[in-house]
Amino acid sequence: MIPLVRLAGRSPCWIVWATKWTRPYSTVDVSGTLEKLASVPKIHPLLIQRAEVMQAEFKTIEAKVAEGNFEQELSIRFSNLSIILDNYNQYKSDMAAFDELKELISEEGQDHELVEEAVAEIEATIPQVQRSVQVLQSRLLPQQKYSDKPCILELRPGVGGSEAALFTEDLMQMYINFANTKRWKHHIVSRSEGNNGFVNEVIISIDDPGAFQALRHESGVHRVQRIPLTESKGRIHTSTAAVVVLPKISEGNESSLKEDERLFAPGEVRIDTMRAGGKGGQHVNTTDSAVRLVHIPTGITVMQQDERSQPRNKAKAFSILRARLAALEREKEIVEQRRMRTDQVTTTDRSDKIRTYNYPQNRVTDHRCGFSLHDLTGCMAGSKLEELMEKVEEHEFEQRLEELIAQERKA
Amino acid sequence: MPRISPRLVREALWHSRLLPPLLRANPEIAMAKQELRWIKNELPRDQWRDAITRRSKLEPLQYILGTQPFGELDIECRPGVLIPRWETEEWVTKLSNLVASRCPKKNIHIVDACTGSGCVPLLLNHQLNGQSDISSQIVGFDISLEAFNLANHNLARIDNSTPNVKFKQLNLFSESLVQELAVDEVDILVSNPPYIPKEDFYSSMYMNGVEKSVRLYEPALALIGENEFYEALLAQLILPMKIKAFVFELGYQLQVDFVKTFLEGKGWEVGSMNDGSGKIRCVLGWRKEMDFMQKLAEEKSS
Ligand SMILES: C[S@@+](CC[C@H](N)C(=O)[O-])C[C@H]1O[C@@H](n2cnc3c(N)ncnc32)[C@H](O)[C@@H]1O
Repeated sequence: MIPLVRLAGRSPCWIVWATKWTRPYSTVDVSGTLEKLASVPKIHPLLIQRAEVMQAEFKTIEAKVAEGNFEQELSIRFSNLSIILDNYNQYKSDMAAFDELKELISEEGQDHELVEEAVAEIEATIPQVQRSVQVLQSRLLPQQKYSDKPCILELRPGVGGSEAALFTEDLMQMYINFANTKRWKHHIVSRSEGNNGFVNEVIISIDDPGAFQALRHESGVHRVQRIPLTESKGRIHTSTAAVVVLPKISEGNESSLKEDERLFAPGEVRIDTMRAGGKGGQHVNTTDSAVRLVHIPTGITVMQQDERSQPRNKAKAFSILRARLAALEREKEIVEQRRMRTDQVTTTDRSDKIRTYNYPQNRVTDHRCGFSLHDLTGCMAGSKLEELMEKVEEHEFEQRLEELIAQERKA
Repeated sequence: MPRISPRLVREALWHSRLLPPLLRANPEIAMAKQELRWIKNELPRDQWRDAITRRSKLEPLQYILGTQPFGELDIECRPGVLIPRWETEEWVTKLSNLVASRCPKKNIHIVDACTGSGCVPLLLNHQLNGQSDISSQIVGFDISLEAFNLANHNLARIDNSTPNVKFKQLNLFSESLVQELAVDEVDILVSNPPYIPKEDFYSSMYMNGVEKSVRLYEPALALIGENEFYEALLAQLILPMKIKAFVFELGYQLQVDFVKTFLEGKGWEVGSMNDGSGKIRCVLGWRKEMDFMQKLAEEKSS
């Protein structure tokens, strides 16, 4: 049980009942209610600590605002904190009320009517409190990096030849459909084909500020089981496609290019333009606008060629490079944090399959949380994908909490 | 025309019926596909076939699509006027960034000789006005009426609200050029004059020559030239108008050397710069008060 912080005023319901405290004896069975009460989730002490820190910060900001400081950053922080603290104070008063009600109903020789009312009150408020505890919990967990960024999705076929390429296109369409159902802006950044005429890479950009937060768990190997159109004997094939979700840091247009270029030290990025031989300049008029960036320290290579304009290809390439570097940095941080918490580094293997799309069974199973969605069609159409993603998100959320707890145990 | 292997044609056919003709202009299938995509993206369906036929006869894609991206701008292109090149786009972008950040003078006058489609003044204007505390007045001139008309057309399309850019039809070799130009003051002279010697114009790509598409479709008036253009730029404009800095595009080290020799002992610093694929591309010069220009020079001598 967590230490309670009692609010200044007592809960209103308690006062009402106190005045009714007149009749003797209670025969109501309260054990079920007590059980339910015990099952109401509590905010983890670590998160309570965080809330207390926020409370203090809120006071200082409040003072500044009262003095007439209306800086944008300050006001944003102020309103963010006030939302969280509203939740937190609600939580505290809910818990205090529950405690007192609990005391009341478990006391010997209590007034019958009073106990009944208390039980009814508890039963009625539990679902609401449960919900608000969840909200508070998610607000108190440390913000994930880049949670306010749009995202870039990179999709590439894995094993399975042309069928893998077709599946890659299906996945791309699924994410585009998903973005459409959310009314999120999106566009195809680039698409390239191998010599066989099949796609070997598609990059799409989903330009909503919440897109990275929503889609980040889509990274990994997606597996498909179905009978390819080309398969004459009706056998089920298994193929894969890899999805990489990156936080989108820069716009990838001519105006973002200047800043992007400035961010790198001279010589950190090698820029190759793929020019035909010959003397160039007035001698040549072929459009050869492809650009390749090589980030020397990491070896990351980005190639862009879809635009007729070389600076536009370059701007896109820089935007992708920055997204990949940000993702790399984020991964490192996560690994580092885990190591600090648990002494053991458990990274998910990049080659691990995260999800299977089984067409004959109209089923999509996510292997991380073990959840199966029995509506593959709805998933590919974008409307049911969110249900699946929520399950993964829940699972990840629990893991993060467990890690926090593990860290607390260590400390 | 290089022979196209049957295997390549089969491969192209597999992708699209429209692709094989494009192989004549693009020996690599990936490039042909890219061009097909651009044609499909930019032209209505009923023009695809015609566009592909024209391209298979080596007509430049830019004349077929009607535009060439140039920095953030789209420049309209028409037969009879040179298509803007990426190398020009590159040095113009560098120059405008430098001027915007380093130029001590805030109201600056630029002349672009041999302006063609007008791409250089239009991009400079786009980059300088609005994005920095610099305001610029730019005059571009060309001898060709077709170029003059297209430049004005591009000006009207892109930005006719500002009187910062003007085009004139003038001959660089005219004896009364300075009077005809009729600008009081010039800080920077830029130019991409014709710089291909005649013998190179008529030889193949592999012999320092030009692409067949260039020779067949772009105006020789815009391409054939040697030192006489650099000499005229210096003797007709730089010296009499006391211009303080210049950037001239070129294609040969000999042309750099010519400019250096010409200005020796006249109080000029002269340098050169390469383009993004490492080829010699510009000669530039500046007088002391404009020495921020040396940032562009990779190699210099005074
Ligand atoms: C290489 S093109 C450059 C066009 C444009 N500045 C560009 O970069 O795309 C050279 C231009 O010089 C023009 N020109 C040729 N002889 C000229 C002359 N004597 N006086 C002025 N312009 C001339 C041509 O008409 C042509 O437009």
